[in-house]
Amino acid sequence: MNSLTNNSPDAESLIRPGCYYGNGIPYLPIDGYPGKLIAIEGTDGVGRSTQIRLLREWLEVQGYGVIETGWTRSELMQPTIELAKASNTLNKLTFVLLYATDFADRLEKEIIPALKAGFIVLSDRYIFTAMARAGVRGVDRTWMRNLYGFGIAPHLVFYLKIDEKALIRRVLQSRGMDFWESGMDMKLGDDIYESFRAYQRSLLREYNSMADEFGFRVLDAKRKVEVIQDELRRQIGAFLADSDASSQPASASVT
Amino acid sequence: MKAATKTGKKKNSLTPMTFSLLHATDFADRLLYNIVPPLKAGMIVLADRYAYTAFARDAARGVDRRWVRELYSFAVKPDLAVYFRVPIEVSTDRLMARRVKLKFYEAGLDMGWSSNAIESFRIFQGKVLDEYDRLVEEFGLSVVNAVGSITEQQRTFRRLVSQHLAIEETNEQLDEQLA
Repeated sequence: MNSLTNNSPDAESLIRPGCYYGNGIPYLPIDGYPGKLIAIEGTDGVGRSTQIRLLREWLEVQGYGVIETGWTRSELMQPTIELAKASNTLNKLTFVLLYATDFADRLEKEIIPALKAGFIVLSDRYIFTAMARAGVRGVDRTWMRNLYGFGIAPHLVFYLKIDEKALIRRVLQSRGMDFWESGMDMKLGDDIYESFRAYQRSLLREYNSMADEFGFRVLDAKRKVEVIQDELRRQIGAFLADSDASSQPASASVT
Repeated sequence: MKAATKTGKKKNSLTPMTFSLLHATDFADRLLYNIVPPLKAGMIVLADRYAYTAFARDAARGVDRRWVRELYSFAVKPDLAVYFRVPIEVSTDRLMARRVKLKFYEAGLDMGWSSNAIESFRIFQGKVLDEYDRLVEEFGLSVVNAVGSITEQQRTFRRLVSQHLAIEETNEQLDEQLA
């Protein structure tokens, strides 16, 4: 069986922060929007939500408008994805497409309007999570990159990196393993612990392989919460100072 | 799957992108469960609309043409794709003759081109038909003139199918069936 259309890889295109990765959404041009998109990536149990909460407080105190977004929080898709997960009826392709729909809904209804209004968007995970999960499940990489060609390249991507051993301890300590996060759909084995380990190991491999391609700023997630937060604030602060400086009109009046 | 499409349609809250992606999800599901297995078993699958419908409909809504084509690159290429073509006037007339209320997305009302459903449909359908004309070239669709009588259309259709299946088909048989 031949496939309907060829998905020949795009010519190596330069990633421009704040712009679409690919051709994007033709009816929604986003050039020159003043907001900033910051993504915090990492597997489960690396402390993303804590870091995002602290970042938000810090940014708001400085007078920035901030919104948060994260997977399966779209009004449209959240119930469907929960239902599909509960019944384990998803195959890998529909799984990937449902997540992409959720992302598209949040992109158009939350992220783009916020960027237009000059907000800082803190994204709790971004398209890289979807790509890593698909990659582990053997979905074609080029196809995945084309699919998310309507995504916006973040201004900053932080990757909270952790090793397999530390990750397993953290998940077990917090809330235990669930079916999907253990990759049980992949039928790696009946032993949920072994399955979880194998799954998380391949996920980490996927994230690592994307670090260069998408310009991740890698942070060691094994350090203390405060240490990581300080590092995030330092890098974000420097970035915002730079972009504020370049967007200030040169003729700012001094009285 | 159906639930999200239904909810989204009911609330009229779908954007051209989420509309496109939800239909692709549904398509992927049907492809894997209803199309690929019978093909593997050597059966003939008749698909009433296929990915081409998405190409035309989504592009008419302003979604990037190349992106939609790449989105559907997981689809099986049909051995034969037939496009039943009618001019826009015929399409609109037939729709009105149905005497059922046009659905929101069917009429393209989500695009805000016109608040009048029939006028909106005319504009939307015009764009869809333009897209189909591109597809005929690009994917080599076989065209059946759908303005003619059902008998004529079926005759052309069977001839096209026969060429692909090397079936002996006589017109007498057809005339009998349609009589």
